[in-house]
Amino acid sequence: MTALLQAAAARAPAARIGMALFVALFFAWLFGPLVLMGITAFNSSAFPRVSPWECFSVEWFEALAGDKALMEGLRNSVVIGLGVVALAVPTGLAGALMLMQVGERARPWYYSVVISPILIPGVVLGISTLVFWDRIGAMFGAGHKTFFYDGVFLTVIGQATFISAYCMLVFISRLQRFNPALHEAALDLGATQLQAFRKVLLPFLKPAIASAAVLAFLASFENYNTTVFTIASESTLTTVLAGKVRYGINPSVSALAVVIAAVTLLFAAVLEVARRRRQRAAAESEKIARGLLRSRTRKKPLLLEPALLMIVTVFVAGAGTAWFAGSIGLEECKAAVLEEKRRDAEERVRTFQQRQMFRRAAPQAN
Amino acid sequence: MTPLRHLREFHRRNGAGLSLFLIGATGFWILFMIVLPQLFMADFSFRANVPPPKWGTPEHYYTLEHYRYMIYGGGGEGSFNVIDLRVFFKTIGAAMLVTLFDAALCYPIAWHLAQAARGGWARLMVLALVVPFWVNEILRAFAFHILFGASGVLNSALMAAGVLDEPYDFVRENIALYAGLGYAFILLMIFPIYNAMESLDKNQVEAARDLGASRWRIHRRVVMPHAKPGITSGCTMVFMLTAGALAAPQILGGPGSLWFTQIIYQAFNQAGNWARGSAYAIILLVSCIVLVLALMKAFKVRLGEIAR
Amino acid sequence: MTSEVALENVWIRFGDFVAARDINITIRAGEFFSFLGPSGCGKTTLLRAVSGFLEPSEGRVLIGGADMAGIGPNKRPTALIFQNLALFPLMSVWENITFALEVRGVGAARRRKRADELLELIALPGQGDKTVGELSGGQRQRVAIARALAAEPEVLLLDEPLSALDLKLRQRMRTELRDIQRRVGITFIYITHDQGEALTMSDNIAVMREGVIEQVGDGNTLYDRPNTAFVASFVGENNLFRGTVGAAERGAVTVETAAGALRARPATGAALAAGDDAFVFIRPESLRFDDAMEMENRIGAHIQRREFEGSFWQVFLDADGAEQPLKLSMVNDDAAAARRPGQRVTLGFAAELAVATRAGPLAAG
Ligand SMILES: Nc1ncnc2c1ncn2[C@@H]1O[C@H](COP(=O)(O)OP(=O)(O)OP(=O)(O)O)[C@@H](O)[C@H]1O
Ligand SMILES: [Mg+2]
Repeated sequence: MTALLQAAAARAPAARIGMALFVALFFAWLFGPLVLMGITAFNSSAFPRVSPWECFSVEWFEALAGDKALMEGLRNSVVIGLGVVALAVPTGLAGALMLMQVGERARPWYYSVVISPILIPGVVLGISTLVFWDRIGAMFGAGHKTFFYDGVFLTVIGQATFISAYCMLVFISRLQRFNPALHEAALDLGATQLQAFRKVLLPFLKPAIASAAVLAFLASFENYNTTVFTIASESTLTTVLAGKVRYGINPSVSALAVVIAAVTLLFAAVLEVARRRRQRAAAESEKIARGLLRSRTRKKPLLLEPALLMIVTVFVAGAGTAWFAGSIGLEECKAAVLEEKRRDAEERVRTFQQRQMFRRAAPQAN
Repeated sequence: MTPLRHLREFHRRNGAGLSLFLIGATGFWILFMIVLPQLFMADFSFRANVPPPKWGTPEHYYTLEHYRYMIYGGGGEGSFNVIDLRVFFKTIGAAMLVTLFDAALCYPIAWHLAQAARGGWARLMVLALVVPFWVNEILRAFAFHILFGASGVLNSALMAAGVLDEPYDFVRENIALYAGLGYAFILLMIFPIYNAMESLDKNQVEAARDLGASRWRIHRRVVMPHAKPGITSGCTMVFMLTAGALAAPQILGGPGSLWFTQIIYQAFNQAGNWARGSAYAIILLVSCIVLVLALMKAFKVRLGEIAR
Repeated sequence: MTSEVALENVWIRFGDFVAARDINITIRAGEFFSFLGPSGCGKTTLLRAVSGFLEPSEGRVLIGGADMAGIGPNKRPTALIFQNLALFPLMSVWENITFALEVRGVGAARRRKRADELLELIALPGQGDKTVGELSGGQRQRVAIARALAAEPEVLLLDEPLSALDLKLRQRMRTELRDIQRRVGITFIYITHDQGEALTMSDNIAVMREGVIEQVGDGNTLYDRPNTAFVASFVGENNLFRGTVGAAERGAVTVETAAGALRARPATGAALAAGDDAFVFIRPESLRFDDAMEMENRIGAHIQRREFEGSFWQVFLDADGAEQPLKLSMVNDDAAAARRPGQRVTLGFAAELAVATRAGPLAAG
């Protein structure tokens, strides 16, 4: 940040400094609350807070692993997430391919309908899914044990309604860069429609399929508004979390946030490293085409990239250090804090008593 | 062309297997996930509130009572359902304010990102914008609870600094809620504006500057018109998401005030009144759509440009 | 194997727009045939009708005598080389080349072998494992040809395959293409808007304008005996005089122009009669300085400027009563060196070297 400020100051005008300051403040606002929450995860205080600081501890992380409801919710979240990926990615793909083919006049209508789930409030989607499958179930005379009333099934369907639209957008933007002549070339060389799709279009869409799948899983994993209606008697990580947060706050929630943030950062790092690799490979290809290079350098497996190894090492070391620092001397520290609190309380009692005595004594003085 | 010819052409272009997949998947999505559920919910909202075993029987007759209830409440004619109406208008109004706040906040950031920042720095900033939003919505709200709570960070800090003598109740005053909502969907405001601005030719701005246009004028006459679809798109998304938010109000809302989605939630999960819940959901949906369409009309932006 | 291609009364419409108008043409088996025409005249559209990507609105496409109606592009004995090549970017060179075999279920080992043979043919031995992105423009070009040939088509269709290459490479590829065609012996249908390409490579050429075929013939015929004003102005350089037919006899017409009465050979099928609007065309190399005033047609002019082209001079002249400067080319000798800008001269040309066509649309530029 200071580097940024200095760079801006070198180019002088006050407006630039103002802008840099604004950007800095903005990012502080973006990360501040999350960082503070992360800090509370390591404070042994039973209420999530930064100050007063009691003891550095990892007990809230341990509490996470032992939390049955949370683990149950996590399992359901993963199952639902995978279900949504399996449903929403093909659906979004079909929706995008269809968009390329519907007639000029029907296109705006079609687009409005398939894009609408993104704009419909999540609670409305949840409610409509719930009501619809309930009525359909009733029509078939299905019992309450059937999938029409199953929380996991309903949640997958409800979430996939709008997540399919997200996936569709991913595919549309990739398809816009597809050269339709490639499809025609395949047909011209004798491929059937299905072969052309499988051997030409699908490989081209592979990165989009991967990002759509990741997007779908993340969107599903963190969804609350729709899920809270469709999940029925089951639970997901978010519904369990919401329950915890609403009825009694404790720092294990912060600990969970730290875990999620760490996983996220690690994931982002992997993506970035993979992107750099692709860039390098593309640059190499161009060099070969221009005759500046004879052949490609051999590819290492992604996980052996030095940058990635380093990041993973840092993460593991950080977690290990925290673990170590959080367990040694924790009991002594806690005892000390308790002792201090007790002394504090005693102190307060004593002042109180003294004041009482003083007050009682005062009228006599008058 | 007749529909049959369309279908034959479609089949010729895609072959049997692919045709089946395309029509099957989009058909299921549009019919069973988008259109029919909304219609069923609408139908449900116009029916009497009877216990589930009687659904579909004559006792499950059509009625406007839930919509009437929203306006007049349970009392006699002439009295109004002050509670629900107030919550409704407060939700819409607050969502609008939050949207405006986000737009004002994000416009300069998007501008900086699109035009001033370069190369690695810009990529890092984009990444920094995205990462906080990979953290769960509930956890984000929770972070604000920690920040604004009675013994939270902000109160501790303000008291330590001597600004406050006793904790200020940010939660009761809904400050925590509005801050949390303003935070929750920022990303969906920045990126559409950023995308629109990025495609703006830098030379255009330079040319305007050369002609001596002031900073404000350049934005008014060159940048804003260009970024308009992005701004409208961002505002639409943020408004819809804010008005339809449930987690943040549940976690950050003051005890005395509700968000409209919470009323719907209560109708479903506490009162077990699905019919009224559906009716209220329809009211939320329709009023949001009407508002957004009005906004798009006012700014002359088409739906096709939204959600890109 | 090679096949004849015939288009019978082919019309292609996009809504109200007519992209091909009553096309009738027969392309002999084993021929190198070109469609030549300016951008947007419907060449690609016609080729797509042959390869099966679109059905003619009316008329028939026959390949080897068989009607192709209702037969998809993957079932026709044609292979198309696309305007932008359309190589599969995610496949290696050898996978690209043998794609047609792959979809027929040929095993990898046999495909590999065939790829090596074809790489030999296109002079890229041992490059099969590269990716498409690792090839230069000319190499890509040749891979696209190999890929099409691997499908063993009876007819190869090429849509301006050289347009993306630089001049040198383009000229080398012309010879190579012609060579390959002789070796494989199948029908090539070649599309281009570059007359140089068409004239050097083709056995026969169809000149197209706005969806209509103006004339079919070999390069010599098109150059020496254009049938229409468009062909005369599109193929090679030509000097134009506008006028009205004064007298028409068998084998010669007289056209009254602003530069005087000019005699010329009437174009085939023009059926010029007295009073018709007509154009007279004379090639720059057929135009002479006529100091002795003995040629059939004579025009007074001023030399405007001249350009040295190495083996010959290009002289630009302002002719009496002509709208555009005339062009004259002459070999580089002492006589040419004596011609200076500003000189008053008399030009002449023989009637049998000039062509009179019916007045009509000209090629742009
Ligand atoms: N699918 C289509 N719908 C409507 N019009 C079309 C379509 N395809 C081609 N056209 C029109 O038909 C005309 C001929 O197009 P075509 O692509 O055949 O030209 P071309 O001779 O190949 O030109 P170029 O040399 O630029 O490739 C053009 O005016 C084009 O706009
Ligand atoms: Mg073309």
